[in-house]
Amino acid sequence: MSALQPVSLVTPPLVEQPFDVHAGLRADVWHAHALAGAPQQVQATGNAALDAELPGGGWPVGAMTELLQSTHVHSEWRLLLPALSACGQGPVVLVGAPHVPFAPALAAQGLYSQRLISVSMGTGARDVPDRLWATEQALRCASVDAVLLWLPAGTVRTDQLRRLQMAAANHHKLLFVMRDAQARNDASPAVLRLELWPANGVGIDAIDDALHVHLLKRRGPPQDQPLQLAARAPRLAMLLAATRPASYALACTTHRA
Amino acid sequence: MHWLALHTAPSASAPAPLNAVALADPHTALAWWMLRFTPLVARVHRSQAHSALVLEVSGSERLFGGRDALLAQIFIQNMPLAPVQYAQGATSLIALGRLWSNLPDCPSDSLPVHSLQAARPHLPTLARLGVRTWGQLRALPRGGVARRFGAELLDALDRAYGQRPEVYPWLTLPEVFDAPLELSASVDSAPALLFGARRLLAQLLVWLRVRQHGVLALELLWDLDARRSNTLHIDAHHAGGQQGRLELRTAQATQDIAHLQRLLGEKLARVTLPAPVLYLRLRTLETQPLAGESHSLLPDDVRTGDSLHHTLERLAARLGAQQVQCVQPQADHRPECMQRWQPWGTEGIENATKNRAAYAVPTSARARNDANSGVADSNMALHPTWLLPTPQRLHVKQQQPHYQGPLTLLSGPQRLETGWLEGEPALRDYYIARSTAAGLVWIYCERLGSKKAAPEHDSRSSDVNWYLHGLFA
Repeated sequence: MSALQPVSLVTPPLVEQPFDVHAGLRADVWHAHALAGAPQQVQATGNAALDAELPGGGWPVGAMTELLQSTHVHSEWRLLLPALSACGQGPVVLVGAPHVPFAPALAAQGLYSQRLISVSMGTGARDVPDRLWATEQALRCASVDAVLLWLPAGTVRTDQLRRLQMAAANHHKLLFVMRDAQARNDASPAVLRLELWPANGVGIDAIDDALHVHLLKRRGPPQDQPLQLAARAPRLAMLLAATRPASYALACTTHRA
Repeated sequence: MHWLALHTAPSASAPAPLNAVALADPHTALAWWMLRFTPLVARVHRSQAHSALVLEVSGSERLFGGRDALLAQIFIQNMPLAPVQYAQGATSLIALGRLWSNLPDCPSDSLPVHSLQAARPHLPTLARLGVRTWGQLRALPRGGVARRFGAELLDALDRAYGQRPEVYPWLTLPEVFDAPLELSASVDSAPALLFGARRLLAQLLVWLRVRQHGVLALELLWDLDARRSNTLHIDAHHAGGQQGRLELRTAQATQDIAHLQRLLGEKLARVTLPAPVLYLRLRTLETQPLAGESHSLLPDDVRTGDSLHHTLERLAARLGAQQVQCVQPQADHRPECMQRWQPWGTEGIENATKNRAAYAVPTSARARNDANSGVADSNMALHPTWLLPTPQRLHVKQQQPHYQGPLTLLSGPQRLETGWLEGEPALRDYYIARSTAAGLVWIYCERLGSKKAAPEHDSRSSDVNWYLHGLFA
C-alpha cells in the first residue's frame, strides 16, 4: 500500500494540466525565450544589474567566459574583482597579463596578494600555445580557484578554445579569457561572451565613469541594450565624484591654454 | 628461525602486475623492497646469471602479526615488484634447496643433492656414489666426506641442518640512490632518453619508499658515444666532455614519480644531444624524510586535480623559472617599489603556497598584516590595478599630456617625495586622468628638484615631464 500512495498523489496534477507543453520536457532542456537556469554553479559578480542579465545570476563556474575589449584597453579588473575576491581562498593564476598587476591596489579591493600567481609570457603569437598550455595546467590544479588568460588579437583557433572550455568544465574552475574585440564575430565555444568598453567621458557625463557591457552570447535571449555598470571601487568613485568641479576647472584651464 | 628464499620468476610462469613499470634492476629493487620486512636479507648466487634472495623473518613475525600475516603482507598485499617464486624452510639452505629443486614441501632429507650449492662441483662423483638426496649425503661418514670433497661441503651440510650459524653479507640500503642503466640501443634524441629514465625512476621509487624519503634534487647523467662524440659541444648540459648532465629540483620532497617524469620530460625536450647516448645514470642529490600527510576529516572539500606545487613546477620547467611569479609586498611609498614579483619557489613560497591553511583560515599573521596595513589599504583603493613596470613618457601638446588622445585631469595632485637615500629622489605629483580611448589612467608629472624653484601650482609648465604609470582597469 505504501508503494501506491505517492502515485495517487502525483497523478492528478498531470491530468489537470494536459496543455502545458513544457511540463513533459526535462529540467535541463533550455527554453530559448528565457534565461537558462543554473545547471552549473555560478559565482555572483558583485553587481546586481549584471547578475540579473547572466544566466543563473553570476559568472559560470566550470565554463569559459570571454571578455572582449579593444586593443590596449583593459577594464577587466573592476568587472572581475568582486567575484575573484569572493570565489575562495585559493590561488588566482594570471596567464600572460598585459601589464604588471598592482598587487597592493588589488589587495585593497579584496584580492589578497598571496593569492596571485602570475605566469608571464612573451607578447608574440608564437607564445600562444604556451599560454594555452599553462592555462590548462593551471585549470588542472586542485587548489586554484580561478584562471585569467589574456590572448593577443587573432591568434587562437576555435579548437584550442574548445579545449580550454573542456578543461574548465572538467576541473570546475572559473576561467576568464580576455580577447581582442576583433574576435567579436568569430565563433567561440565560450558559454558567455561579453564585450566591454569604458565610457569615453565625452559630453555632460564626462565624470560618469561607467563600464559598458554588452552580452554577445549567453544562454538566453539576445541583449537589447548594453549595460552601463558603475563598477568602481567605492572609494575611488567617491573621490571622482568629490573632485568633479575641480576637474572641470582643470579641464577648462587646460583647454584654454 | 624461519627463512624465505625467493627469486624472480621467469615471465612466462606468472603474469606481471598490470600497472608495473619495468625496473632498471629488478633484483636489487626486490632486495630493497624486502628490507621493509626484515633487516636480514642477503643475495645468494647460484651461477653467473641466477641469483636468489634469502631472508630471515622470525624476528619480525610478531611485528606483522604472525607468520601467515607477514607472508600475506609480503606476497599479497604489497604486490611484489616483479613476479616471484618463493619457498620457506627452517634454514636458508633448506629454503633455497626447496626453491631451486622446485619442491616447496619436500622434507629436507629427500631434497635432491644438486640443490645444495656446495655440492654442485662434486655432482658427478656423488652421482657415481649413488648419493641423490641430502639425507644420503648426510649418512656418509663425516671423515670420508671431508677428505674426499673438502670441508666446505660438510660445513654447508651443518649449516643446512642448523648445526652451525648461518651468516651472510647482509644487504643494506644505500644512502644515496645511484643507478646506472645500459640502453638497449643508442639514443639520438634527448626526449627518447625518457624511456630509459622511466625505468630508473621506477627503481628510485622503490628506494624512496623503503627509506621513506622524498626526493628534492636528482641528476640524470648520460654517456655520449665516444666514437661519434663532438667534444667541443658545450651548452647547459654538456661541458665538452663525453658526459651530459641534467639536474632536476622540486620545491617539496616528493615520491610522485609521475610528476618527476613530467618534469624530466619537459627538461629533456629542450636538450640537444651532440652524439648518441648508450648509458644513463640517475643519482639523487638531496632527499628528505617525508612527513605524514594529514587528510581532511570531511570528504566534501576534497578537490581532484594536481597539487599546486606540481603544477607550478611543471610550468616553471617548461616556461622557465622566471616566468612563474608570485608577489611580495614591500614597505615603500613609490608604487614601483611597493611590490616585488619574484619567481615562485624562492622565498615567497611561504606566502604564496606553502601553507594552504593560510588561505582557509585567516591566521594571526595575516590578521596582524591587515591591521598594520589597514591605513594603507584604504588609500591603496585609489591606486590603479595595472602598473607599468617603467613609467612611460607622455607626449605633451599644448601643455596637455597625451596618451591615446588628450588627457583630462580628474583628481590630484597626490604628492610623493621619497627615495632620497637611494640617490634618485622621486618627486612626483600623481593625477588621475581620463583618456577618451583608454579610460582612467594614472599619470604623474615630475617636479624638478631644488635647482628649479617651481611654484606649487605651476607644475604644468612647458618643461614639465609627464609620465604614465598606471591604468585603472
